[in-house]
Amino acid sequence: MTIKIAQLSCGTEYSGIQSEIDHAADTVGGKMVYPDVAFDDIKRSVDEFGFNPASPQLQLMIARAKSLADGHYDADAVFIATCFRCAEGALVRNEVRRYIQEHTKLPVVTYSFTERLKAAQLLTRMEALVTIVEKKELLARERQVGLTAGIDSGSSTTKAMILRDNEIIGKYWTPTGPVLETGLEVLEKALAEAGVKQSELDGIGVTGYGRFLIGKKLGAKLIQEELTVNSKGAVWLADRQKGEATIIDIGGMDNKAITVRDGIPDNFTMGGICAGASGRFLEMVTKRLKVPIEDLGALADKGDWKKVNMNSYCSVFGIQDLVTSLAAGNTIEDVAAAACHSVAEQVYMQQLQEIDVRQPVIQVGGTSLISGLVKAVGDMVGSKPIIPKHSQYIGSAGAALLASGFLEGI
Amino acid sequence: MIVIAPSSDLTPDQVARFIHSLGLDINIKETCYGANIEGPKGQVRKALTEVRKLDPNRIFSKVRAFPIGDERRCRAHHGSRPGFNQVEKEWKDLSMIDAGLCAADRGEICELPPPPEKLPVKRLREIVDEVTK
Amino acid sequence: MKVFMIPPNSLILYDLVERFGHQPLSLMGELREHVVKPEIESPPLNLSQEDIMNGLKYAGIEVPSGVRGRLGIWGPMVDEAEAAIIMHDMPYTFGCVGCHRTNLMLIYMVRRKKIPILEVHYPKTDEEAKVMVTKIKAFLEGLK
Repeated sequence: MTIKIAQLSCGTEYSGIQSEIDHAADTVGGKMVYPDVAFDDIKRSVDEFGFNPASPQLQLMIARAKSLADGHYDADAVFIATCFRCAEGALVRNEVRRYIQEHTKLPVVTYSFTERLKAAQLLTRMEALVTIVEKKELLARERQVGLTAGIDSGSSTTKAMILRDNEIIGKYWTPTGPVLETGLEVLEKALAEAGVKQSELDGIGVTGYGRFLIGKKLGAKLIQEELTVNSKGAVWLADRQKGEATIIDIGGMDNKAITVRDGIPDNFTMGGICAGASGRFLEMVTKRLKVPIEDLGALADKGDWKKVNMNSYCSVFGIQDLVTSLAAGNTIEDVAAAACHSVAEQVYMQQLQEIDVRQPVIQVGGTSLISGLVKAVGDMVGSKPIIPKHSQYIGSAGAALLASGFLEGI
Repeated sequence: MIVIAPSSDLTPDQVARFIHSLGLDINIKETCYGANIEGPKGQVRKALTEVRKLDPNRIFSKVRAFPIGDERRCRAHHGSRPGFNQVEKEWKDLSMIDAGLCAADRGEICELPPPPEKLPVKRLREIVDEVTK
Repeated sequence: MKVFMIPPNSLILYDLVERFGHQPLSLMGELREHVVKPEIESPPLNLSQEDIMNGLKYAGIEVPSGVRGRLGIWGPMVDEAEAAIIMHDMPYTFGCVGCHRTNLMLIYMVRRKKIPILEVHYPKTDEEAKVMVTKIKAFLEGLK
């Protein structure tokens, strides 16, 4: 079945990226479609919507969104995109996203692009959109069965987890080196901890940037993007499979914010334009402060971020702020707190504005072990995030759990 | 791309058949608004000149970017593209352009009355006083 | 004479310019050269990174890519123009001419050139259409 993804956009063709969008959709079994509207519908739709942008293409976006909401056009998912740095486009993109979510049950992803589009990130978003539509039953799985392994090949670290009958029996992580070798290494170590052999596994699931390479080599039953897998792992580890939640994953290279209902994602945003809003920035900070990353959280807990002027939209400028503030006599505790606050603030500004944050907030990923960052995120979202045990293993836990969905007769 | 104004009695089918009857070395595709023709420049121009003669002020034309039947711009394939709404609106308004061309043929001097001037503040004040009395 | 039109993809303006004996600088003609190239790298319009880079001649890097991509195609057409017709209040500017900011820039670029320019308004009635068409006819005939 081809998944119809309705495209509501402005500027994709003249930015030369439409083919990348079509290609990404095609790769994951989707197809971009444009909801039909008649000329006379456009003005009527804009009047009813209440926002009348000067650019007619944005008016057309609104009319197409209304056509979807009114059920005049049938699609399975929605992709909303406008040019990066266009204020009018950004306003309409966000309001159209909100409108679609309020008036339809369609999964939505928004995207702000330049002519130098990042194909891998776009593919992950498309794959997640299609997965949500196509694999709803699989995503509804709440218990792991049999003996399965999950591998999460991330940009910074690679993780593996072994599950047997819904229990964790082995796990291991290490910084990502060569993708395939690191994947095999973490699997071997996790298997050793579990005391089982690879040949005994009923199935393997792989997620993360290196999923295709590792998954193919191991003959994995599940090779899936990290948005849906991580959210599944997060609600499983946090034991929050029912009801609503928001999952925040500040990763090494990009950040994810995902809203879920009964463990199934219904909206997500993924950032990654600037490293200043990622775990990578905190790694750079610890190097400059000459402290182990494990100690950064505790240091930040003791500091006061308000004493340091830091805005790490860009990691290079962020480190400049850090150097300046240290030279001005600020303590490393204050600097650590400011770095954590700055990353949380960027995530709040770049990601959380694009989804409707639902309580509880579950914070996951390696960076959720940095207490100072968790506190800073809590300050932003207005409640203390839940940090499940083994929160850095969400991807591998989710992959192992979902891989068991493919086992027959168990 | 040949477009017939809504004020014309011609149909796309008639136009397409007429072009076929010219026996030129061109591809012809009938559309909801007229026909798309494609081929060597000279032949296309000849077809255009002849077809215009059928109803000079009600047959319009322009160049189209995409070749006939190109999937990249096929409505059946993806749904309508933005340009479709533009053609839809321009086509509807061709009857007005027809009226304009006829006036030009007759050598009419066409002028619009000057737009009304803004209401002087003094007059606005008087109106406010009258209404609020 | 080569006449540039705003909006550059208008059926009405293209037809009138050609009907009254001039060469319309057609956006669609320009795009056709892109879309029928043997090497299609970036469908549907087949705009390359180079085309978008060409837009930098007309607008800086801080300007959104969609604007620069449009200007990369339109800019050289404006450069080539010997006369221009600008139609205001167009009710149908989607797709190629869907970005209002680019349209404003385009009008400015045309006005900045020292070429004969006619500015008209899109008609709402037959009477307004008569004024527009007769003005365009007189303008185009006067160019010879």
